[in-house]
Amino acid sequence: MAQWNAPNLIAAIDESKGMTEKGYTFLDRDQKELFLSWDALRSEAMKRAAHLRKYGLKKGDRVAMVLPDGEDFVPTFLGAVWAGLVPVPLYPPLSLGKLDSYKDTMVAVLNKAEPTYLITLSKMQQVLWAGLTHVKSLKGVITAEELKGPAPEGVSQDPAQVSEDDLAFLQFTSGSTSTPKGVAVTHGNLRANAWAIMVDGLKSDSATDHGVSWLPLYHDMGLIGFVIAPMFHKVQVTFIPTMAFVRSATLWFETIHRVRGTITFAPNFAYALATKRSKPEQLAKWDLSCVKAFGCGAEPINPGTMRTFVETLSKAKLNPNALLPCYGMAEATLAISFIGMDETLSTDVIDSDAYQKQRTAEPVHISKLTEGKAQEVVNCGKTFPGHEVGIFDDEGKRLPERRIGEIQVRGPSVAKGYFRDPDATERTFGGGWLKTGDLGYLANGNVYIVGRKKDIIIINGRNYDPQRLEWLVDDMAGVRKGSSVAFSKPGAASEELIIVLEARTNSETELEALKESVKQRIVEQMQLTPTDVVVCPVGSLPKTSSGKLQRSKTRQQYLDGTVGKEGNRTIGSNAEKVVLARHVALSLLGRSRHRARRVVEHALEVRSVDDALGKLKLAGDYFSNRLTRLF
Amino acid sequence: MATVHIPTLFAQAALEVSGKKLDNLSGATVISKLGLDSVAVMELVAHFEEKLNIRMPDEDLAKVQTVADLGGLVKRLMPAGSEVTW
Repeated sequence: MAQWNAPNLIAAIDESKGMTEKGYTFLDRDQKELFLSWDALRSEAMKRAAHLRKYGLKKGDRVAMVLPDGEDFVPTFLGAVWAGLVPVPLYPPLSLGKLDSYKDTMVAVLNKAEPTYLITLSKMQQVLWAGLTHVKSLKGVITAEELKGPAPEGVSQDPAQVSEDDLAFLQFTSGSTSTPKGVAVTHGNLRANAWAIMVDGLKSDSATDHGVSWLPLYHDMGLIGFVIAPMFHKVQVTFIPTMAFVRSATLWFETIHRVRGTITFAPNFAYALATKRSKPEQLAKWDLSCVKAFGCGAEPINPGTMRTFVETLSKAKLNPNALLPCYGMAEATLAISFIGMDETLSTDVIDSDAYQKQRTAEPVHISKLTEGKAQEVVNCGKTFPGHEVGIFDDEGKRLPERRIGEIQVRGPSVAKGYFRDPDATERTFGGGWLKTGDLGYLANGNVYIVGRKKDIIIINGRNYDPQRLEWLVDDMAGVRKGSSVAFSKPGAASEELIIVLEARTNSETELEALKESVKQRIVEQMQLTPTDVVVCPVGSLPKTSSGKLQRSKTRQQYLDGTVGKEGNRTIGSNAEKVVLARHVALSLLGRSRHRARRVVEHALEVRSVDDALGKLKLAGDYFSNRLTRLF
Repeated sequence: MATVHIPTLFAQAALEVSGKKLDNLSGATVISKLGLDSVAVMELVAHFEEKLNIRMPDEDLAKVQTVADLGGLVKRLMPAGSEVTW
């Protein structure tokens, strides 16, 4: 087994010289392949670094990237790193009609990261312009097309000199819009976590392994797990466009089957979706026996989902040992723990009473599950050599095995902190341990996660994890899947449980019956009576940019008496048209204002003035088309 | 030539993708308010593409807010002479 051990990502890219047989393959929406060998990736990185340097960018400068496709994203990211710049990957605007909240998030993130330039596709510019005028640090936009062109002459293509402590890139987590936090990932972090994932965790072999990923590249699991770590350890990867996966989820398994993939990762929801969409004739055709790691992480792992996946995909020769539950977070670069490569999904059944009252994880017989007196927790494995996981109580005292408390991590993968946010850094990274905010316990050194600390519901001195209550409700007929929210409100004696959900029905009698059965289910399974069950119209509960329901916001709306009343259908209302018109107008204004500023700043840069005029004309056409259609 | 009524096709697609019955769709219906999650929305887009044999670019989709916007996009992408209504 070849052992790769580059001191940093730049050196890892440089090791690629002359390696033309393997590398990264990018599929497009039509399944057409673009193959870039390790050697070609190195050349592309050097060329793009030169382009970026031509803009006056130097070591430590941030560059924001909004590039949806891997074939643009990966070489550009590597090029920026090669030049010593700090890339700031952002997610592209994808969903229909969410431009307003997208713009707000983007502006907040950019104002935190303070990038000098933003790199995007020329066709994306129009969508983004509305927000960019609010970002003072930005000098302009560089298009991905420009970076593809021949390297500019007289500009250095040499690799930047970096040390372990130098920033490699900023990883923004999908937190709240108002206070985005950028995890400052250093070159030392990347090297340590790449080693943990590829060597300690996956025991990868560059001669035989082949990664397959549809994960978004602006997300830690996609970027570190499938771009950076495989570059360090020279494991070839086939990239499926995220949108292609979302459009047709079985493309994931189909591609693994076709290229004989061995390593893939995804969050729980993707396993549920792809399993559901797999047709019998596909299952009969696929041979997935090649896969040694079906990693599952990035969101709570539902044992039921995993079992359905293993059972269904066994028809496609899936090896049950391939399933690899894992635990990680952006603040620890990516991975914190994996189960062993020879282990399969295992769970711990713990007594609900002991968990809720004494915060201990006491193993009980599985039959207690059906009686509603126990809960099942997935084993997420052990942490990696050189790293340590500890469980702490609220006073900061370290707890022994099977005691439930906050999971904390230390080791070389733990990031430096949040970029330019000393308060948040102290809160989360202070004292030498990364406070994950997750509640869990250790048993035989394995990590078990029971929930998020801040969401925990405490009723009559018992602890309940809202996720588990929501899973119970989500399963019920009539409830829109993934639409329920559990939280508590202050009551007379103790906190009281409130369940809010979206239902598919409008009939009064059905709604009442649904409320009753929700109450009954919670009572049966958790010995807990919800004080209130609120049924809202579909689509009315607040969600985050990534589509997750926002518990705290729902709770606030409930307390304010506005839950389910905001954002209801206002079909045909003039307000919606105004929103749309505002976008178009802002986009135009932003563009011209920004260009005007650039023209003043770089009065001699004739090229950009022409460019501006051309683009303004385009925007003008678009605007007048839009207006004619609207009004 | 093909005749496409966008709200009808949209309702069919939503039913197939997420089992959701959508009544009273019109051109002015705002898609983000229909309670389809982001995955369902993209599956729905795939359904349109398959049915109509077109490709809707991501950057155009980002600008679509209403059923009428979607209709406009479809109309632009369909062969000349196709009738697209909403």
